[in-house]
Amino acid sequence: MSPSRRDFLWTMGAAAATVALKGTQDVFWSSEELADPGWAPGIEDRRNSACLICPSRCGIRSRQVDGRLVRIDGNPLHPLSRGGLCPRGVAGVQMLYHPERLDAPLVRNGPRGSGQWERVTREQAIARIAERLGGLREAGRPEALALLAGYSAGTMQDLWRQFLASFGSPNYVADEYDDGTEAVMALMHGIPRRPSYDLDRARLVLSFGAPLFESWWSPLQAFVAFANPDDEGDGGPRYIQVDTRFSRTAARTHEWVGVRPGTHAVLALGIAYVLIRDELFDAGFVARHVAGFEDFVDEQGQPREGYRSLVMRNYRTEEVSAITGVPVARITALARAIAANRPAVAVCGTDVTLAPNGLLAGLAVHSINVLMGSVNRPGGVLFGEDAPITALGSPVLDEIARQGVSRQPIGVSPSPFASGGQALRFAEIVARSEAPVDTLLLYYANPIASSTHPSVWRETLDKIPFLVSFSPFLDETSEYADVILPDLLPYERWQDAPAPVSYPYPVWGVARPLVEPHEGATHTGDAVLALARSLGGSLAESLPYESFEGLLEERAKGLYAVRRGMTLGGHFERTHHRQMEERGWWLPEHTGFEAFWEELVERGGWTDLFYDHTDPHRLARTDSGRIELMPAALLRVLDQAESVGALYLDIESEATGERPEDHELRLLPYRVSTLASGTLALERWLAEQPGIFPDVLWHPWIEVAPETAGTLGLGDGTDVWVVSPRGRYRARLKVSPGTAPETACAPYGLRHPDGQIANPLQLLDGSSDPLTGLPSWSSTFIRLERA
Amino acid sequence: MARWGMVIDLDRCTGCAACEVACKSENNIAPVSAGEADMGRATSWMKVMAQVEGEFPDTTMHFYPRPCMHCDNPPCIRVCPVQATYINDEGVVGQIYSRCIGCRYCANACPYMVKYFNWYGPEWAQSERNHLNPDVSVRPAGVIEKCTFCHHRLQKAREDARAEERELREEDYQPACADICPTGAIVFGDLDDPSHRVYSLKEDPRALRIMEDLGTQPKVYYLRPRE
Repeated sequence: MSPSRRDFLWTMGAAAATVALKGTQDVFWSSEELADPGWAPGIEDRRNSACLICPSRCGIRSRQVDGRLVRIDGNPLHPLSRGGLCPRGVAGVQMLYHPERLDAPLVRNGPRGSGQWERVTREQAIARIAERLGGLREAGRPEALALLAGYSAGTMQDLWRQFLASFGSPNYVADEYDDGTEAVMALMHGIPRRPSYDLDRARLVLSFGAPLFESWWSPLQAFVAFANPDDEGDGGPRYIQVDTRFSRTAARTHEWVGVRPGTHAVLALGIAYVLIRDELFDAGFVARHVAGFEDFVDEQGQPREGYRSLVMRNYRTEEVSAITGVPVARITALARAIAANRPAVAVCGTDVTLAPNGLLAGLAVHSINVLMGSVNRPGGVLFGEDAPITALGSPVLDEIARQGVSRQPIGVSPSPFASGGQALRFAEIVARSEAPVDTLLLYYANPIASSTHPSVWRETLDKIPFLVSFSPFLDETSEYADVILPDLLPYERWQDAPAPVSYPYPVWGVARPLVEPHEGATHTGDAVLALARSLGGSLAESLPYESFEGLLEERAKGLYAVRRGMTLGGHFERTHHRQMEERGWWLPEHTGFEAFWEELVERGGWTDLFYDHTDPHRLARTDSGRIELMPAALLRVLDQAESVGALYLDIESEATGERPEDHELRLLPYRVSTLASGTLALERWLAEQPGIFPDVLWHPWIEVAPETAGTLGLGDGTDVWVVSPRGRYRARLKVSPGTAPETACAPYGLRHPDGQIANPLQLLDGSSDPLTGLPSWSSTFIRLERA
Repeated sequence: MARWGMVIDLDRCTGCAACEVACKSENNIAPVSAGEADMGRATSWMKVMAQVEGEFPDTTMHFYPRPCMHCDNPPCIRVCPVQATYINDEGVVGQIYSRCIGCRYCANACPYMVKYFNWYGPEWAQSERNHLNPDVSVRPAGVIEKCTFCHHRLQKAREDARAEERELREEDYQPACADICPTGAIVFGDLDDPSHRVYSLKEDPRALRIMEDLGTQPKVYYLRPRE
């Protein structure tokens, strides 16, 4: 119902009358509610909480009126987001009140995919799942249970792992975004952790294909460093973006270096060449902390070229310029800019690592940080730590569980250096009936919509007799489910929200219910605890918590005991705490744990903004104690498998798959900031603002250069099929002058107005990096056809 | 008397569009269907526009968030036959929906194209009505709507200040877009009050106003990019 003009006039009059009622309390009127008899002034409330929509986990501040969430703002106390928020966070109210959310647990009542459901109660749904799981344990095959989980860092992930272990299943299958940088750090530093970037204190940020302002681990971290709102001057580092795609990041950083597709790492080593040739690198740091820079003798006693020789011999600026398309003078200027603006930090993005030789390319990019000594120093690459919350404790294993967890997890990577692509391998193995999975639990995973191989996933789901989904929406994968126990939405549930690893300091945000939880939905954490109770035995012993909220409070005791850090606070408090801790001081501020917990929830979390730059364990944990530019473990593997390539030599990403004659455009899929994975429902406000083009609304698009469009005879706004040998999907052509010729840039995660997903990943040629198992996103060629 | 205005630093704007969505959330702006959007009928009081120059690899692009300019000499009010659109003492250009007859003269007169016509009444699912901001009325079909500088926030901020017996402070009244901006690119305040940031920012050598030569005297300033 929309108000008629008459209602409206009446409202205005009544509104004027209510002004007289206003006292010091927050009261106001609503044109809608005034029309209802019994209307009373609304009561307003604001609470700090955390955003759970993307991995950034920013702080939010809500505004409720009469128990309805009407607005989401940023929490100014949050050190990462500092009061800012991205459009996805703001539009969260549309997700909370989405008309398509499931309002009751469902049990399938007909053939799979027929859309026939029976509504059941929460208890019935949990009993149904518990019965199935109990059967598996009785039959002595707990390993037939698997969980496919999307990004769920924090207590939900720990809880799932604890549950699976005490149940006896080794199959925690991660279906989350992986940028491959963990393997780079493990090899060079012996620290298996994704790098943190101290953007706030860098003077120059050189990003190699990292979508800092769009869909990076934390766009807000990049925004805050870019604008430096705490600084009165025009501070903030200089941002340089090396990218093939003219992305929003490329458009808004201070300088964009357009490179040919797949040549980011070549440019990195071209820069390294100039740094070494002109002696601009940090020779002292390299001499003290780095191994493999000079020629050396390897484990077999063979002489080998070191980093310096490899770079000086193979990456002369003229050659690099010919490969990358970047003029020689520009390469030299970039190297000089790095040397002149220290600390400078190179950020390695997915355009580099999601390639057939992504690991080698990632090592090449990170080598710039090593050369410049931008490691474990302010403004460089840091190795942060997780918030010291109380651990869940070792799971109690009974005999069945012990046997189950001793089995090989399904789909674990044969790749030597990382376990990328586990979800797809899991799907392939199950589809081939090589590993019987009886029950699959889906937690924030929607592979039918987001996977590179939806058809494989359909077969996989057909092979699995019992599917349980915890999705709050009836997404493409949940349509196949046997039981759906919809999770509470963010803003209704308790959950911890640790900042992503890209942020150097531990932040343990806490999201709490801002509105009354929906009756038909169940906190998945509480459901897991109820399942554990119902299954009894080792499960009940391993998870003895009453509620998920209680579990969070329990974990916060670790923060209280650690005697450092602070509950979130403003700029002054943050600076004060940091300066105190730098001098070895910490003052207790709470009379007891209860007061601490209350304040922590009230303010939205806990953080510790002190980083010990003198700790050598944050520089290298290799056997030699130095940063390895030529990691021995990698050299061993490369020597044996000659097809893989050589370190610092084969770093250009070329097309590897089948390439039909007329497929001339290189497909460059990318994630847009407004929707990143296809696991959430379409929010209409975001559909009206999907990307960087103000005139592209609602429809998934594909960007090509004007000359490409001219050659194809296709105009702006034409509906086209994007075709590769593996399939096709529909999109709208967007002619964009910044797009490199012979490429087509395709946003990933968008839906058509009818809700159909437009997934460019399903066209990928299927190649992957043999060293990490991660898929290649940039080696596929496509053609466009008029739809 | 205050004279409310805005300064937008294009060097700081990353085009993330948080302002756009925050405005829609604050002001109950109803999304339209994809078909209507194709006809250019989507409403965005605050809209992030983009300007692209050059071709690969020498392309530059700037985003500029475009709210109503709240002109001191607004062309829209001159053409309104029923005085539905007006400028108040503090320089905010408003729209009285109950007076508007939907002739759209003002939308045509506005050189900034920031007046939006409601071709249909707002469509909200029953559940979505929960997130409507009770401070802002929804607009019926057949009327023009536009950016109000979140004027309802000023009314509330004034009441709060009066209740606390103090002067209105700069931070008390900020529109939703300025409030949310993660890079602080949007600055809002009283252009005539030396203690407000906009007072000095508008005198910055980089400051410019769009289509100033038309004599509209906009109160939204842009700080042009440095390079």
